[in-house]
Amino acid sequence: MTQESVGVGPTQPLGEAPAPSPRRERKAALLVAPEGLIARHRGSGVMARTAVPAFRTTYGFISHNFPAIIMIGILASVLGVLAQGGPTLMGNQMRNALVLGAIYALIAIGYTMVYGIIELINFAHGDVFTLSGFYAFLIADHFGINKLAASSGFGLLVALVVIFAVSMLLAGITGVLIERVAYRRLRDAPRLAPLITAIGVSFLIEGFMLAFFGPDNVTTHQASWINGNAFTLGAVAVRWTDLFVLGMALVLMFALGAFVTRTRLGKAMRSTAQDRQAALICGININRTIATTFFIGSALAAAGAIIYSINYGSLKWNLGFHVGIIAFTAAVLGGIGNIVGAGIGGFLIGMIYVFGGSLAGGAWSESLIFAILVLILTFRPVGLFGVDVASRS
Amino acid sequence: MHRTAAFLSLASIAALGAVSACGTSTSGGSSSSGGGGLSGCHGTITVATDLPLTGGDSTDGPFPQLGAQLAVTQANSNHVLGGCTLNYVSKDDSSVAKNGHDPAQGAANITSLAADQSVVGVVGPFNSSVAEAEIPVASQNHLALISPSNTNPCLTTNQAVPASTCGITTSSLYPGPHTYFRVIGTDLTQGEILAYIAAKQLNMTKAYVFDDQEAYGAGLATIFKQHFASDGGTVVGSASLPGSTTDFSTQIANAQSSGAQVIFFGGTSGNGCGLVRRDEGKAGLTLPFLGGDGCQDQKFITDSNSGSNTSEAEGAEATSAPDATKLSSAQAFYSAYSTAYSSKSAPYNDGKNEPYTPFGYDAMNILIQAIKSVLLSNGGQPPSSTMTFRDDVVQALHSTNYSGAVGQTSFDSNGDTTNPFFTLYKVSSGNWTGVNAYQVDSSGNVSVKS
Repeated sequence: MTQESVGVGPTQPLGEAPAPSPRRERKAALLVAPEGLIARHRGSGVMARTAVPAFRTTYGFISHNFPAIIMIGILASVLGVLAQGGPTLMGNQMRNALVLGAIYALIAIGYTMVYGIIELINFAHGDVFTLSGFYAFLIADHFGINKLAASSGFGLLVALVVIFAVSMLLAGITGVLIERVAYRRLRDAPRLAPLITAIGVSFLIEGFMLAFFGPDNVTTHQASWINGNAFTLGAVAVRWTDLFVLGMALVLMFALGAFVTRTRLGKAMRSTAQDRQAALICGININRTIATTFFIGSALAAAGAIIYSINYGSLKWNLGFHVGIIAFTAAVLGGIGNIVGAGIGGFLIGMIYVFGGSLAGGAWSESLIFAILVLILTFRPVGLFGVDVASRS
Repeated sequence: MHRTAAFLSLASIAALGAVSACGTSTSGGSSSSGGGGLSGCHGTITVATDLPLTGGDSTDGPFPQLGAQLAVTQANSNHVLGGCTLNYVSKDDSSVAKNGHDPAQGAANITSLAADQSVVGVVGPFNSSVAEAEIPVASQNHLALISPSNTNPCLTTNQAVPASTCGITTSSLYPGPHTYFRVIGTDLTQGEILAYIAAKQLNMTKAYVFDDQEAYGAGLATIFKQHFASDGGTVVGSASLPGSTTDFSTQIANAQSSGAQVIFFGGTSGNGCGLVRRDEGKAGLTLPFLGGDGCQDQKFITDSNSGSNTSEAEGAEATSAPDATKLSSAQAFYSAYSTAYSSKSAPYNDGKNEPYTPFGYDAMNILIQAIKSVLLSNGGQPPSSTMTFRDDVVQALHSTNYSGAVGQTSFDSNGDTTNPFFTLYKVSSGNWTGVNAYQVDSSGNVSVKS
């Protein structure tokens, strides 16, 4: 392994004070909030000394029981919907929530993987999602794939494999390119710098899509093979699209899980996430590992986008911003950096969006999501499943 | 005098080359008089349009803009203002950030137009939310605004609707003289007609009402709800969702559960009108769908049909601007439009592709007539002070009685047209097809306009 191939790491002396290990820095940032508040109160006089314990107890209680509070809230809203419209409405909304949640989960994983490994909120990720949806749309439209899919059952299978494989490959390459061009050079710069380039890349991709695909919804020709209901549960119709979305999302998430835990590259990713410098010392090619992370995250976003297009039948140039920011909340809810957490967080956000919206009126759906974001960051910055920082992968 | 005559003949030669100004005299009413006592008029008078031309509104705004521009071209080639010429400025109130009409951009446009001392009147804006931002600026600068398409009633009066449903009060809109006019009926008329259609024509008693949270959409939904209730119906549920919403299945499930018989959408297809219809189909619902003029476009059909049912748009109904394509008064305008813009790419080469095209044309002609009457009453010359000129134009607009492409237009004291009517359209074989025109008489009775 040459000096160049391992990147800029070795040129920096390890353990030098101004450049602490990234992992320790994050741990501090995420866990220190209550302590920091206490320190400030202590310095501020006698009054504060009596006020602090009450504050600490309340804070501690909410923080400690945050997962339970969220779960109780979701359960209450599900029961509320049951009271509102009976089992049919509850069933319909549960179906809607699972479908929406599956899409958010696939995008949230991309956010969380990138954050886990380089501590960057990749704001371009939502737009990679939309862009890869357009890749799939163009591939399906221009290479006779739609005809192939309509020809026979076997043709359909081949068409699906081709569309997923090629779009995911293209999206992966896009992700790697973005990392190479916009983030790699800034890896050791102050955190604000790559954040700004991320926003820049996001606008760049949106502008590109606006110019190429126009301002309106682009109809992606929802495939006719997937029309109709698979089965009905009482009065709740479960459509083939619902099963496809959910099934595909679960398969991809388990495949990713196996990859991260079972393969050498997955192990490399986990170790890089835990401690980049130490991983480097162990001979892990950091650049390649980070590139792989971007590749996989973007490929999953592509899968999410194909699933989205099949479910909704249309794409829009600025869709990624909207969907992306909700998926980002899902990633934070699950504990940013925690892949399993992001998957579960996606489904929880789907439930909050749908059941909260059903009960409180659709105008509140997004307010609820972002209220949750604020609450998590205040009371439980590590998210529902991110408590054990060391085992985060 | 020699110089003027030479100028005139030069100008008419140029005009012949540019546009063969056919049909002006029939649709332009008194505009054919060729300047009357204004041959001694000197100078250039600027009129402008402020309409959304790019982004999500690129299939709406350019049509009234081209209609208004045609009116100016015709007036100049017919020397309607005699020796004075009209200079035309087109402003775009779209922004990249909003991907379409942007109130902030609109206000900035009016500010810059008002600062231009040669500007005496503006045709626009297209959207009510933009009008809310523009009217105070225009009113403060005594600048006449004539909208071809604003249907939010709150822009001219807070009395006919509960003030609480207005996002803005007229007192705050008009810090200066009342300078705003419109050549189209308001949502008061439209919502009343829509409720009449739902309750009396479709015979539905339970409605689920969507709106897109904008001044136009939320306003129309409120008025629909009021009249639907007074027509004997019940609103079983409602949802107010932002324009960025891409999935309406939660609310469709609620509508289904509430036993709704008709789905109403107050808003624009850019804000999800077609997507609601799409999700209705996805949930297997086959309820009648009713919307306002914001839904009546190609985007609605494309979006509706993008889901599992590729003919989901069929049967959906929406009221919209009066279908002027069938009015005998508008025929001359449409043929002049096609001649003038034959070199434009589709759909812009045919004025019939957008309902507001003749309204843009009439609005500009009304403005030009008002300028003309000011010039005439001022001894054939523009008033020397810009503010006086603008005030006089506003005065002249108040006594408008103009026979144009969409019929006989005059304004009441609020600036609203006395010629309000809407046409009901239905999607059939993938196209919006006009069904009937509905009008509301002064005592509030809805009837089919024959």
